[in-house]
Amino acid sequence: MIGRVLAFLRSYFAMLVVAGTFLWSAGAIVKYRAAQYPSDAIILRLGHWQLEASVREAIDEMAAEYRRTVNPKVYLVQDAIPEGTYGQWVSTQLMGGTAPDILQVGSMLPGNIWLSYYQRYFVPLGRYVERPNPHNDGTVHAGVPLRKTYKDGMKTAYVDEMQEYMSIPLAQFGSRVFYNKDLLKKLTGLDTPPDEYRAFLKVCEQIRAQKGDDGKFYVPIAGSGYHFGMMGGLMWEPLTFRAIEKADFNRDGSVGNDEQFVAFRTGRLDFDFLPYRARFKMIEELTRHFQSGYTGLTRDEAVFLFAQQKAVFMATGTWDARSLQEQAKGQFEVGVMRYPFPAPDDPFYGPVAPARPREQVGSGFQFGITRTSAHPEIALDFLLFLASRIGNEQLNRIIGWIPAIQDTETDPLLRAFEPNIVGIFGAMNFTLGGETVIKWGQLHALYQVGQITYDQFAKEYKPFYLERGLMDYREQSRDWRRGMHRNELFLAGIRARALFSEGAESNTEWIRYRALTANRQVWAELDRSRQLKLMEQGLEKDAVGPYEYKPEVLAAVKARILAAKETP
Amino acid sequence: MNGDSVARLKWGAALVLGLALSACAPASGPAAADPRAALIGGWQDFRLAEYDLATKAFSSALAGAAQGSDERIQALFGLANVWNLRRPGEDPDRARGYYQQVLQEAPGHDLAAWSDLALVRMQHVVPVGQEPDIKAVRAGYQRIIGTYPGHLASKEATIYLNASLIATLDPALTWQAVSNLTAFIGSGTREFRAPAWSLLAVSYQSLKKPRERLEAEIKAFENVEIDPANPFNEFAWAYWNIATIAEFEVGDFDLARGYYRRLIEEYPADVRVFPSKEALLRMDRVEAELRAGREASP
Repeated sequence: MIGRVLAFLRSYFAMLVVAGTFLWSAGAIVKYRAAQYPSDAIILRLGHWQLEASVREAIDEMAAEYRRTVNPKVYLVQDAIPEGTYGQWVSTQLMGGTAPDILQVGSMLPGNIWLSYYQRYFVPLGRYVERPNPHNDGTVHAGVPLRKTYKDGMKTAYVDEMQEYMSIPLAQFGSRVFYNKDLLKKLTGLDTPPDEYRAFLKVCEQIRAQKGDDGKFYVPIAGSGYHFGMMGGLMWEPLTFRAIEKADFNRDGSVGNDEQFVAFRTGRLDFDFLPYRARFKMIEELTRHFQSGYTGLTRDEAVFLFAQQKAVFMATGTWDARSLQEQAKGQFEVGVMRYPFPAPDDPFYGPVAPARPREQVGSGFQFGITRTSAHPEIALDFLLFLASRIGNEQLNRIIGWIPAIQDTETDPLLRAFEPNIVGIFGAMNFTLGGETVIKWGQLHALYQVGQITYDQFAKEYKPFYLERGLMDYREQSRDWRRGMHRNELFLAGIRARALFSEGAESNTEWIRYRALTANRQVWAELDRSRQLKLMEQGLEKDAVGPYEYKPEVLAAVKARILAAKETP
Repeated sequence: MNGDSVARLKWGAALVLGLALSACAPASGPAAADPRAALIGGWQDFRLAEYDLATKAFSSALAGAAQGSDERIQALFGLANVWNLRRPGEDPDRARGYYQQVLQEAPGHDLAAWSDLALVRMQHVVPVGQEPDIKAVRAGYQRIIGTYPGHLASKEATIYLNASLIATLDPALTWQAVSNLTAFIGSGTREFRAPAWSLLAVSYQSLKKPRERLEAEIKAFENVEIDPANPFNEFAWAYWNIATIAEFEVGDFDLARGYYRRLIEEYPADVRVFPSKEALLRMDRVEAELRAGREASP
């Protein structure tokens, strides 16, 4: 008998060790979880990529609040996954059927992948957005449909290709200039920096003229390739706004790449155009105050410079606000200011800067509910709790972000993020595709590092653009029919839904089908033939600027004024 | 390695293989006995771009449906759509075959009109690098309009037909479109009325008739159909469009002011708010200059 046992052990020893270890691990986890949660607990798992300490802390606190005020059985387990691996992690969890109940969505994977995941693995939320959020009872939002309680009307949650709401957004984001208050005071004597552009440049000059304890000069602005784009959107790009008056031929309020090309080809626009010159001049003036070699640096390297108190200013977003505060704790105080911008009476920039730049604000930090969730209705209720007026305010106060819900209070540090929604915006569009885009990128990079002047840039780029532009445009728009086919496919699915629906739903589905057909399939051919005509033939001989009056229009206005004068 | 070990390994390998094969086994399709469920599942798969599953579901529905039944026609239509629109793996000939089968088996069925329209759309929306035989396409739309009067597919065909005429930018064909669209709107149809007015506006733009264009744009706006759940529905673009046509092409400053103001009031966060405010100031200035007998500065 003993011999047979020993023989069995000898034969299956490795397997027994593995099985034993597995059972021991499983037992340990069950015991640990049992000690953590009551036997009747409802455990929700929530996966996200926000590794900032304040985010995890806020979600835990809100879960405890939910348990205390709404449902004592609900416990939340967070899976905080680094950004770099979130995409792969989400994919394996969803495909393996082991995804958490709630997942942060919308980023870290390409849009088309998210679209396929939404379709396969997430619960559509359209039916809930027109209903009031029950956690808003007793507040100003009581009885108001969920989507109307959002600052942006819940647009971020809407997936156009599905015609569905797929997530609940919980925060808003914006970008500003952060500064080291103590260092600013020490180097300039100022408590707050000026947000008028010229005065800001003077402060930067003052800073870069001084050395730190290490004998190195201070850097006024911590920059990188990442920061360059962020600053440009709210500083130098809007200076091109006046190009709309010259080149927005279809008067849609923006300059398309075809319009830009035609304006250049017909001589209506050139690199001599003051708004373009101003854009490049501002880049040169500002990037002089970045650390040298900034174009090759990453975001983290710029943050490091700022945290080490070697730079005074740094552009970044609300997402970094609390962690910057944490890093500075005990060392220096962090301040937040608007992006500096020229005053309307600025002798050079004034004519091209009639107002401050307009800021586009959208919601983010959005969460979807997975189809494999054992408690989808509780997961939804928890998200609605976080999206309630009180809950959203509390969540964002702990994290240090801007609430996504209307009538909420914002953290005092973030009040400077209140967006300027009325203002000017960029109107320069050289992205015809192909060679012209590559050439633009190459020359722009040389300009950024001061290897060529603006005039050299213009002299080299313009002839190339005019010669290659039409070819690149044709190449880029060659597959316009592919877009029409995609729409055809999409509309077939929408029509099938309408064909299978009944009653009031049928009416809504058919309206949707007709509206989408009209928007997507009627205009492509028409727009293309008009664009091609514009690109190939240019403007008509007697054409005036898109925002100029023809003589006969002025005559009509004059006649009306005279008629009004004659009327007693 | 002794005989027992080999036997154990064989059993283990067989077990692993069995498990692997069971995991690879295709999911069973909808039962042929329930064609309706298979049709719903087929369209769901179609929307998920699971075309093989959709084909299987529609085939299953076809197998389970009685000859001459509604389900059979639906299944044929589903299969036609998959083979027509799937990428990759499309089979236009097979798709045409299924559409034709719908037309032959049930010419009076609701899906006959949609199948006929799909056949013309296949001629119109051709692959990249090819050009459609536009005369044949227009004849196809015209045939659908004549064969299925009052059907939504016929109204959709009217819109496509006239868009293709206007896209030529040829005055004679554009006038033909104006005539067609005026008749279409005059028929009292509610569906596709707004796009018909929009196409009329574009026609008048090509024909340099700004007053008529302005009126058509206003009518298009008044007749637009709205999907109530879509948060991106808004009229800011329509207001801006009407206002700028009124200001720069017609010189009707009062009308322009009205639409600029509506944009500012109803869409305070819209990108065009600042330009609208500038437009209000510009019109005041121009009027003041003209009143004072001066030339209006640009």
